[in-house]
Amino acid sequence: MAKAKIGIYWAAACGGCDCALLEVNEQILDVVAAADILLWPCAADPKYSDLRDYKNGEIDIVLFNGAIRTQENVELAQLIRTKTKYLVAFGSCAQSGGVIGLANQSSRNEIFSTVFGDQANWPQLDTNKNGHDLHLPEFLPRLTHLADVVEVDYVVPGCPPPKQVVSALFSALVAGELPATGTVFASSKNLCEECSREREQLKITQILRPHENDPDTEKCLLDQGFMCMGPATRGGCLAVCPAANMPCTGCAGPTAAIRDQGAAMLNTVASLIGTGEEGEDQLAAEDAILAQFDDIVGTFYRFGAATSIFKERYHERNATAR
Amino acid sequence: MDKTNAAFEPRIVAFLCRWCSYAGADLAGVSRLTYPANIVPMRVNCSGRVDTEMVLTALEKGADGVLIGGCHPGDCHYVSGNYKTRRRVVLLKQALSEVGIDPRRVHLEWISASEGIKFQSTMTSYTELIRELGPTPVRQRKEPVHG
Repeated sequence: MAKAKIGIYWAAACGGCDCALLEVNEQILDVVAAADILLWPCAADPKYSDLRDYKNGEIDIVLFNGAIRTQENVELAQLIRTKTKYLVAFGSCAQSGGVIGLANQSSRNEIFSTVFGDQANWPQLDTNKNGHDLHLPEFLPRLTHLADVVEVDYVVPGCPPPKQVVSALFSALVAGELPATGTVFASSKNLCEECSREREQLKITQILRPHENDPDTEKCLLDQGFMCMGPATRGGCLAVCPAANMPCTGCAGPTAAIRDQGAAMLNTVASLIGTGEEGEDQLAAEDAILAQFDDIVGTFYRFGAATSIFKERYHERNATAR
Repeated sequence: MDKTNAAFEPRIVAFLCRWCSYAGADLAGVSRLTYPANIVPMRVNCSGRVDTEMVLTALEKGADGVLIGGCHPGDCHYVSGNYKTRRRVVLLKQALSEVGIDPRRVHLEWISASEGIKFQSTMTSYTELIRELGPTPVRQRKEPVHG
């Protein structure tokens, strides 16, 4: 059998996904034995012209990590789509915009003034310096995810994708047995199914952040008041964060039955909050617990803000009215 | 009210619990009480059935306001569904506020089966409030972002 041809590309990414590929340890040797890596900007030094020179569909599969932030990301995603048979959204950013999707809560101008300060320092699309023209790709008004730009065949969730998920993808790749397109390389059930903590379905009487208290290592984190995203999040990572005493932050995205991960989590938490009794005389006490939330978007939409139902920030005059 | 709102007719989705608020709507009907035609009533079995995702989807599809009608505290046919939805609405309003949407676009009201008049007055005043707020900003989203 001819060697498979694979590519790995990063768009608006931190580089963690590229490192995560090596978490499979010696299995990477099987991958290299079974496949040639044609494209991997993080490890090799390819030029755009190399990519353009490949025939359409010449690459078998490309693992694309990172979100779509600039016009360059869009163009490369479209170019890679024509050169590869299968395209994988690899990691939270490619899947749903990821943590950097929270940037959509700020306008482009707000981001530029925070990063570059005075408007004179903002990057210009076109500059001419010493007789040389320089063109920068546009920083798009809103960050988006890979599937918004091109068709995506597989999704490998996680920030970064956990070892066993990457391993499952590589095994399928090496065996030449890729599943039906549309497959998400993770569990179809939620994280709680994989979590070993004991659930008592206690009422949440106090909202805690991880640094505010040491969680009990045996009991459900939600029972203890820590905002664990497990109920609304796809499993597949074997609940490594709760096992390390950290609440799930929801990096794997919602399960197949959920469209808006934050909304699902909001439902869950609203049902759990309470004093232990339901009644009109409890409403004030419930309101006091609910008032402890100060960043719902950052908590429940940490990885899905860019692909949530509202996608970005609006500017209504009385947004703080009650 | 600015000029652009002059011809604005709000579209309001009202999720009404079948045991109280929907029966209240029926009573308003048989009592010949009139209220604005801007309300699109949706009968649900319990206000506790109204998922946050349903409310957000209504806003996404262009609703200018979403009203949830449930039984008064203590009267829920399923004991505590209305308390659950109340907590949900509190959190949802905060989330809307965080993303820059006026939280008054989502409203929870207790309307019992005997309160035809309250149904009429709530629908009238909420329609007027939404008329004042103007069209939803969600509908005016700029799509797509890429060239």
